[in-house]
Amino acid sequence: MRRVERRSTVTRLCVRFGGVLLTLLLGTALAQVEVPPLRAPVTDLTQTLTAEQITALDLRLREFERRRGSQIAILLVPTTQPETIEQYAIRVAETWQLGRRGVDDGVLLLVATEDRAVRIEVGYGLEGALPDVMANRIIQQVIVPRFREGDYFGGLSAALDRIIALLEGEPLPASERRDRSVGDELGALLPLLFVIVFVGGALLRTFFGSFGSATVTGAMSGALVWLFTRALPIAIAAAIIMFVIGLFGGRGGGGSWVSRGGWGGFGGWGGYSAGRGGWSGGGGWSGGGGGFGGGGASGRW
Amino acid sequence: MYALRLFALLMCTALFGGCGYNTLQQQDEQVKSAWAEVLNQYQRRADLVPNLVNTVKGAVTAEKEILESVIEARSRATSIQATPELIENPQAFKQWQAAQGELSSALSRLMVVVERYPDLKSMSGFQDLRAQLEGTENRIAVARKRYIDAVQNYNVTVRSFPTNLTAKLFGFEEKQNFTVENEAEISRPPAVDFSEAPAVQSPPPDAAG
Repeated sequence: MRRVERRSTVTRLCVRFGGVLLTLLLGTALAQVEVPPLRAPVTDLTQTLTAEQITALDLRLREFERRRGSQIAILLVPTTQPETIEQYAIRVAETWQLGRRGVDDGVLLLVATEDRAVRIEVGYGLEGALPDVMANRIIQQVIVPRFREGDYFGGLSAALDRIIALLEGEPLPASERRDRSVGDELGALLPLLFVIVFVGGALLRTFFGSFGSATVTGAMSGALVWLFTRALPIAIAAAIIMFVIGLFGGRGGGGSWVSRGGWGGFGGWGGYSAGRGGWSGGGGWSGGGGGFGGGGASGRW
Repeated sequence: MYALRLFALLMCTALFGGCGYNTLQQQDEQVKSAWAEVLNQYQRRADLVPNLVNTVKGAVTAEKEILESVIEARSRATSIQATPELIENPQAFKQWQAAQGELSSALSRLMVVVERYPDLKSMSGFQDLRAQLEGTENRIAVARKRYIDAVQNYNVTVRSFPTNLTAKLFGFEEKQNFTVENEAEISRPPAVDFSEAPAVQSPPPDAAG
């Protein structure tokens, strides 16, 4: 009797182990839905909207961002399974970083067509202007009735009307697209740049002379600044400044170097040509570093 | 000469950074702010409960028990002082987590019951409250996840070499993390015993660890 019992315990354990193994395997098989790269305000992975409809929404969102600085993005995916729409939405929001850094004024409008689920994810900075209650009302009163009739564009467009109307009332900092974050990063870079110029420059000068070393440091600084800020004018300016500092900051160059000083600028141009490739590849629209905390509302239709 | 001095300064910074002191400070601060956000969101939920109960009370008079259990769970959850120091104290942390878990389950039971009352469901005041509650629960989930990640980062630093020496020197201790409710059951190694001897003589569980 006791033996039988023990055996049944063992089988039960085996079953439980098998179950654990199975869930582990399933977990890896049912990988999470990937977050698509952010290239434009409207991302439709379901081919629900026509090209004209996407353009219409796209233009409105870009115009709103230019005017107010806040970023609203629309994403349509077939499904968010195995995650809930809330879990997927916060992952997208964390990856895309809609809204400006520090202002956190981003909104994500996420639609999972096969799940028949929709969510408005609201950035920290807009939780006052677009509280959960309002997001819920927009979903229940504006989006859900239209989506039920299959009018996705109408639902999204009307929801945007309501969201934009709400955000218009919110006093936010004036729109100055990403200038501030570039400044921040440049500030963090400055010490590094000076180290490069002075330490690296001192070493290089012994090998290449002051002109050669200034060219190298100028080019390196330009490339580095571009790498961090992705802003060409600033990278070129940094390259030129660093070239000049490298040239005159050390022992000081003779007058004859001045006419050839332009070449140092061209050291920076290396950064420029590399920059162009990255710029066109990077696309025209990206998040500004805004934060999300899970605010907003979800609904089903 | 100037260059040399700068270089020396740079090396000093690099050496100091290498022992992980700065990393520890940073991650400790991250854990604290993540924890503050967790407390913030739980407080937000606790503040919502009286409103919710008042709105629901009139419509669901038949469900007195559930309403009372929500009120009771709320008062228990808020009676535990939620301080930043809670994450240093395993006992208090567990208590606090259990109290909040009780409130969670009481609230979800209430929301299930409410489904039976169409009049209430169509009331706009109730819909708003439900949206707020759902939003808050979602914020709690996000805040918890961020806290878990922050503590994980921090604990790895505290335990791995050579930063564990720095951590010990400056008194950085491991912090409490959230656990799933039945973690004790999952993490316990299955006691498979094939021997014929009676199970009473099995070695103490500590010996395995």
